[in-house]
Amino acid sequence: MDLEIQQRVKDLTEKYGAENIVVVLGGSEAEAAGLSAETVTAGDPTYAGPLAGISLGLRVYHILEEEIKNECDPNVYDEQCGMMEMVLDVEAISNEVRSIREQYTQFKD
Amino acid sequence: MIKVVHYLNQFFGQIGGEEKAHIEPFVKEGFVGPGMALNAAFKGQAQIVATVICGDSYFAENEEKAKNTILEMVKKYEPDLFIAGPAFNAGRYGNACGSICKFVKENLNIPVVTGMYIENPGVDLYKKDLYIISTKDSAAGMRDAIPKMAALALKLVNNQEIGSPEEEGYIERGIRKNYFAEVRGSKRAVDMLVKKIRGEEFKTEFKMPDFDRVAPNPPVVDITKAKIALVTSGGIVPKGNPDKIESSSASKFGKYSIEGVDDLTSETFETAHGGYDPVYANKDADRVLPVDVLRELEREGKIGELHKYYYATVGNGTAVANAKKFGQQIARELIADGVQAVILTST
Repeated sequence: MDLEIQQRVKDLTEKYGAENIVVVLGGSEAEAAGLSAETVTAGDPTYAGPLAGISLGLRVYHILEEEIKNECDPNVYDEQCGMMEMVLDVEAISNEVRSIREQYTQFKD
Repeated sequence: MIKVVHYLNQFFGQIGGEEKAHIEPFVKEGFVGPGMALNAAFKGQAQIVATVICGDSYFAENEEKAKNTILEMVKKYEPDLFIAGPAFNAGRYGNACGSICKFVKENLNIPVVTGMYIENPGVDLYKKDLYIISTKDSAAGMRDAIPKMAALALKLVNNQEIGSPEEEGYIERGIRKNYFAEVRGSKRAVDMLVKKIRGEEFKTEFKMPDFDRVAPNPPVVDITKAKIALVTSGGIVPKGNPDKIESSSASKFGKYSIEGVDDLTSETFETAHGGYDPVYANKDADRVLPVDVLRELEREGKIGELHKYYYATVGNGTAVANAKKFGQQIARELIADGVQAVILTST
């Protein structure tokens, strides 16, 4: 996750409170999505950005996870995400993001 | 307490990306970025007292000056240990880490440790002089790299015995050590041979160094009659990048016609190369692939002719194995086309 986006997540969290933030990721493969998820929960694993050593513990999901898909209008979801849902490894991405979420988010809901 | 000075580039120093790569070296007290993880990994046995941050381009373009400035900065803190990086697969950063580690070691006589991906160009340049922890090719490998770097650094500073590359996680330095083996040499050799004949895996005790020596070709007899081709790893492609050559870790190369082209312009050509500031290459691609100058030389009769195709790929993070494959294919085609000499350019 690049420095600017880390800073934005940090600023928004300070402004609205961690309990009011959900981060929805769109990365196209599992490792990258996992790193982003880790950045907004445990802290930046690459120690390069503003979230290095800062554990926000935010709720984080990938757009292709069931939890997010179920929240969306099926027609809109299909139009916007249907294509990527077919070509990406949804299971690997979901498993990776879920595993990070379960380990590091401070909101167990 | 063991005092440590840590070296970082502008990115890991949290200053910025490529747009800040020109910054001159400066010092921050205490740890920055990956230093936080490093400090934690020292578990109270050592502490980062200062961090030197320098832009990758600045270091590459002013190496001697940068080295001396940084050495003075490091000296002031009288450290017991110097750590640089890890640089993963970033070429300029790897070279900077290797170069400054060697310089600090030679001048201050303290242990130094850095970390790089095995294909980082800094590895071949400095692995004989330094302990370079073997890392993944991206910052995703920070978590694995840091504890290894910290552990090896503490061993070095405490004068403890350093184990083999496999045990400690550093890249082989080509150093051989004597030890008492339980089984005598002839038996070990026969065991190995039997395994080899059976097609089983075996581990040699006498690794041959991997020399990548390229014998130079004989000089071009008469350059004014020679057909010259341009080949670049600087990613210059026709505008729109028709073959979609990747901006890093290229899986292919492109072959493009420059027949009748006198000058590459921002309307017709651009660079596909990531990891460096592309503004000047996009404004005038001749800066990377000098078609304009070669056309002049062609007109003046200083070269025979410029080959009507050029070849391009992206060098950024591209695997050595892929690069070799591209090179062989390109060379075969160039020879078949009667090209006598090639000018290779990069970013």
